[in-house]
Amino acid sequence: MSKARHSSLALGALAAALIAVACQTEPVGAPSFGVKPPPPPKKDEGGCANFRLTGGGRIDERDHTGFAKSTPQSRDFATFGFQARPTKACPPTDGSGQFQWNEHNPDGFGGGFSFHGRVTFFTTPTDETAGDSRCGRFGGSGTLRTRNSGTSENVPFEVNHACDNGEPGVGNDHIKLTISTVYTRHGILSGGNIQQHRLTGNF
Amino acid sequence: MKAIGIRALAVVSGLGLLAGPALAQSVSGTAYGAYVNALGVTSQSAVASVSDTGGLAAANADSYQVPSAVSANWLSATSSGAVGSGSDKNSGAQSVSELETVSVLSGVIRADVVTAVASSYVTGTGAGSNGTGSGFANLVVNGVAVITEVAPNTRVTLPGVGYAVFNEQTPSGDGVTSSGIRVTMIRVVLQDALTGAKTGEIVVGSAASSVTR
Repeated sequence: MSKARHSSLALGALAAALIAVACQTEPVGAPSFGVKPPPPPKKDEGGCANFRLTGGGRIDERDHTGFAKSTPQSRDFATFGFQARPTKACPPTDGSGQFQWNEHNPDGFGGGFSFHGRVTFFTTPTDETAGDSRCGRFGGSGTLRTRNSGTSENVPFEVNHACDNGEPGVGNDHIKLTISTVYTRHGILSGGNIQQHRLTGNF
Repeated sequence: MKAIGIRALAVVSGLGLLAGPALAQSVSGTAYGAYVNALGVTSQSAVASVSDTGGLAAANADSYQVPSAVSANWLSATSSGAVGSGSDKNSGAQSVSELETVSVLSGVIRADVVTAVASSYVTGTGAGSNGTGSGFANLVVNGVAVITEVAPNTRVTLPGVGYAVFNEQTPSGDGVTSSGIRVTMIRVVLQDALTGAKTGEIVVGSAASSVTR
């Protein structure tokens, strides 16, 4: 029953998201299954960053409540890998890099999905981590491949923050991702690492 | 042999190459979903690999199959890394390999998700690596569900087949200026029933990372 309720909620959220995005102005490159994505995040909201970020790993517990792995019977976790950096001149807050995220929760959006994005902006954070010099924000658009709802191209995403809180990354570093209006997840790393590197003159 | 990649993505970013030639630090990382050298077949799923100054590599595939040996869906392999420059003494590399609906040897070993995570870092004061985050979702071996976390380097006999090592973790480096780890979530060694000689090998879920300062 719980699973059915979660599935219903997920489908409802998807339907709401599809209706919401259908009302937006059509951007360049509409997704393959006819869904019009919302406008990209407001990349100029954040400040210029003088560092780059790389990372890869896993999160399980949600909302920074802990970093324990889910039980071996659970698929409620996500893994990721990325490289992101600002372009040489700032402003504008353009960026480059790549981002991979895999959500395994079958009761979540799309029955789980894989997302591969291209980074187009990089700034300091604008969320609850704003002002924390260990954190960065970046985003762009990418391909969203769900387990049960097909594939969509040019879907906007934003890593609201990726924070390097020291070594090792497990139990310290944390990350928050938002994909369009359909998905958000954040947590402390239960595996892997995020590293921040100061930019030098030649990048 | 039947290796299927309905839609494969393999991207390597060389942004790290812009960092300049004088860097003493280096990183490397490799991840892949499956490798088979058995039953007269040698096959490997797409590999994601970075080296030297780092970058990011990703290799995804919808499915992979070598009949009677391995089948899996939603393969994802990602490896990333970066080296510090100038006064920045920190370098790191991370690799993640994942597969879903995994079946090995026609169901002798099954799992909903297999995840291998390898992470290495070096700072001005030391180096370290770990495989934390690696694990299985709903692992079944010889028909028995494994309901607890699988400890590193757990060996299980597979009657009439050979043996399997789960969550195999192999560290490297001196822990001061270098460190590395290779995590292999399932390694099946096929053996001759009479002599015990190795006749083949199947690997599922492999991630490796290393750093040097």
